[in-house]
Amino acid sequence: MPAALIRDIVIVGGGTAGWMTALGLATVVGDRYRIRLVESNEIATVGVGEATIPLIQRFNRIVGIDENEFLRETGGTFKLAIEFVNWGRVGDRYMHGFGRVGQDLWTVGFEQYWHRMRLAGRARPLGDYAITQVAARDNRFMPARPQPANSPLADIAYAYHFDAGRYARYLRKLAESRGVRRTEGRITHVTRAESGDVEAVVLASGERIEGQLFIDCSGFRALLIEETLKTGFDDWSQWLPCDRALAVPCESVAPLTPYTRSTAHRAGWQWRIPLQHRTGNGHVYCSRHISDDEAAATLLANLDGRPLADPRPLRFTAGMRRKTWHRNVVAIGLAGGFLEPLESTSIHLVQQTIQLLIDFFPDRGFSAADVDEFNAQSRFHLERIRDFIVLHYHVNQRDDSAFWRDCAHMAVPDTLRQKIALYKAHGRVTRFNSELFTETAWLQVMAGQNLLPSSFHPFAALQPDDSVHAYLEAVHRAVAGSVALMPDHADYIARHCAAS
Amino acid sequence: MSNPLIQDIVIVGGGTAGWMAAAALSTVLRGRYRIRVVESDEIATVGVGEATIPMIQRFNRVVGIDENEFMRETNGSFKLGIEFVNWGRVGDRYMHGFGKLGQDLWTVQFEQYWHRMRKLDRALPLENYCITRMAAKANKFMPPRPDLGNSPLADIAYAYHFDASLYARYLRKLSEQRGVLRTEGKITHATRRGEGAHPGHVDAVVLESGERITGDLFIDCSGFRGLLIEQALQTGFEDWTHWLPCDRALAVPCESVAPLTPYTRSTAHRAGWQWRIPLQHRIGNGHVYSSAHISDDEAAATLLANLDGKPLADPRPIRFKTGMRKLAWNENVIAIGLASGFLEPLESTSIHLIQAGIQQLIDFFPDRGFSANDIAEFNRHSRFQYERIRDFVILHYHLNQRDDSVFWQDCAHMSVPDSLQEKLDLYRSHGRVVRRDNELFAEVGWIQVMEGQNLVPQRHHPLAELQDEQATHEYLEGVRQVIAKCVDFMPDHAAYIAQHCAARPM
Repeated sequence: MPAALIRDIVIVGGGTAGWMTALGLATVVGDRYRIRLVESNEIATVGVGEATIPLIQRFNRIVGIDENEFLRETGGTFKLAIEFVNWGRVGDRYMHGFGRVGQDLWTVGFEQYWHRMRLAGRARPLGDYAITQVAARDNRFMPARPQPANSPLADIAYAYHFDAGRYARYLRKLAESRGVRRTEGRITHVTRAESGDVEAVVLASGERIEGQLFIDCSGFRALLIEETLKTGFDDWSQWLPCDRALAVPCESVAPLTPYTRSTAHRAGWQWRIPLQHRTGNGHVYCSRHISDDEAAATLLANLDGRPLADPRPLRFTAGMRRKTWHRNVVAIGLAGGFLEPLESTSIHLVQQTIQLLIDFFPDRGFSAADVDEFNAQSRFHLERIRDFIVLHYHVNQRDDSAFWRDCAHMAVPDTLRQKIALYKAHGRVTRFNSELFTETAWLQVMAGQNLLPSSFHPFAALQPDDSVHAYLEAVHRAVAGSVALMPDHADYIARHCAAS
Repeated sequence: MSNPLIQDIVIVGGGTAGWMAAAALSTVLRGRYRIRVVESDEIATVGVGEATIPMIQRFNRVVGIDENEFMRETNGSFKLGIEFVNWGRVGDRYMHGFGKLGQDLWTVQFEQYWHRMRKLDRALPLENYCITRMAAKANKFMPPRPDLGNSPLADIAYAYHFDASLYARYLRKLSEQRGVLRTEGKITHATRRGEGAHPGHVDAVVLESGERITGDLFIDCSGFRGLLIEQALQTGFEDWTHWLPCDRALAVPCESVAPLTPYTRSTAHRAGWQWRIPLQHRIGNGHVYSSAHISDDEAAATLLANLDGKPLADPRPIRFKTGMRKLAWNENVIAIGLASGFLEPLESTSIHLIQAGIQQLIDFFPDRGFSANDIAEFNRHSRFQYERIRDFVILHYHLNQRDDSVFWQDCAHMSVPDSLQEKLDLYRSHGRVVRRDNELFAEVGWIQVMEGQNLVPQRHHPLAELQDEQATHEYLEGVRQVIAKCVDFMPDHAAYIAQHCAARPM
């Protein structure tokens, strides 16, 4: 016999995770399920996830968001890349641009011909062959133009910077119009059924909100998944020792850059996220290596404009919940795990878990096989993103602080060690099982942080030197010519989506 | 500094594996490397791999093969799927058709709506929603029409049946035109480097004539015996016979009968199964069996009693052991084909495994540094592919409700690899199938076999209930009717061949 269907879904916590989940589910399951979201205006939400990756376009499309309206409402800007400053060595600067690098032509991938020419001293920096990087440096932006298909303009991949508080507010409006019921109130305790499943959350007002499926979007507090169910946490701070952040907005300065910047400091790094109306900044650091005061001073000394508030402190531990789905509770967002926003993955992880929840949506039977698979996939995704972030710390040649030396010498996870070893041999990168970051992303960071293979795929030597050189130059010219056609980022925004 | 490049590639053994490797490498390398194939006319090749899967089209495209010419030269026919007879229970019959199942429309996948409707007795058997299965049953064939957009005719996926030795001959001609050098001769032994950069590497094979053929990279296509990978390098073999106990086969061609079916057939017997592969001029047949459960004579009698036409030869015996070489790439030797491992041809994967090995070799092609990291990655990929196909083949044996022989009962009760057990548990729960990385068989392959062998999920995806029953019923009916109309429109398989690629009369 089929198990009975879920009727009541209770989302605990608003904020970006809660409202993305509410809207995602309301869009997919419509009015066949009752969706309630409980949030308290007293509890501050963590608003660090203001930079995104291109997959967010898919989420916005599914829930039916108009890009221009959404950017107007959230003070948003466009993002083509992340610039990394001081990571490999102090003074270094490279970009991780979205989308493609180069154009494939012959037997092996573009990067293999680049490695060959680089070793021969006849290649430009990698970024000169990537349209998003060249456009970002030039502060230009436009969305991809699909025709003609072989133009670099067809390859423009982008994401957004936005005010996460405003994004949540915008999603809330949409979610409520699709039948999600919001309840204001602070949760005082949680009741559990004899089976151990969560039965209801009880508010300070005494109101009891029951459900069959609970989604824990309560952030670091992890009210249901940890405080109630004691699921446990896998601590990854041996690989990612940063445990605090200070966030501060500052006044905007021109030009309006279409990229996030991440600047490495003595014991951490600082983000810079340009919005239309201000610039978001934050310093992520390791409290064992630097004091809070010193961290604040570093942050404030490295702002482009006048600070608009006092730095707001955050504390965290990198890692993930042992199970993101336990009993009838699914943790989404910070309640499920935390990775510093170095590659802007916070909002993506929310989106990804919502997608998984839809794929493995339960009935009241809560089948162990389904839940196990959900957990295995969540873990896989988070671990692979962790590896990519650890890469940034590990591959450094800085010797100006114990922090960076420790990172360079630490033993990294096996999966990461294998990726680095494979790349070192002949510049090969393999992507396993839809892990988030592509071969191109890995290449840009490894090459950007001076990890350069001393050899290349032998088939990149099948063509004569001059032909390969001409091929690379042609790609660069096509990229440069395309960028020249693109409008200025600020102009594009003024024309299409200026905030009121 | 970069390591020096390979100059001489020596392929040991002709046959399908050897000539596929030679054709692909000579195409990609355009004469920049010296490629030699050493083969002996005295050594018979194993020609069981005559049925394929749709990926072979990609191989043929890369080496530049014209489909009609190739079909004419190899007496080929088209293949839309495999029919399995007597697998779940004696008397059962289902098909694993290539390509899509149904059409996606709403939140979850087609089969979830089918599961829901079937429980309500409002769905027809699964085959009605799959164009290749319905076309195969009607003995019809045509290639897909991508110009027709969302019509099922755009989704026709197909492969081929062909005479593997004619295919090897065809590839040989093509390879020789592209500069591959063929040396006739029987190899007596291989010699290994004593010192220098890579002690232990094979440096030459020596022929009966005394000729010594040296190389930097050796590709072992010598078949079961693994002349280099095993005899020279003692790489070791991982035995999977506890899961796949069949260890012998008898192969026999018989006369063709009409109609010319566009599918392979696999009929389960008391202690194994029999293949039927229709070619233009004859039918290939073979009985794969477990010698622990049935004698050779009995196996031969069963085979001959189940032919559609008059046998054209005496049954030819083949012995094998299922499993894989511990390393497909060891030192400077890469094993491709049967030298790298053996899985019975139940899902027609033999030629695909050759093709996958070649593709991997191209992706991880070495220089004379022979980087350990590249080789380790190559071997990880090979193992992953092999193990996942193994799981899929075991599935067919394990998922049976036959109680007519110890063989089948043992298969039903054996404990299977964890990776397979997880797939079974997940499907049993809510009909979900997850494809890991780029494992060969997609969700639709698994669903068709599990469903065809009577594994019924306890429940379906809850979100398949979002639409009301009548709307869901109409959706399924719409898909079924469109497919039926498309199949009506398709030409007869034999007529298609007569018009496009009939072999010359023998």
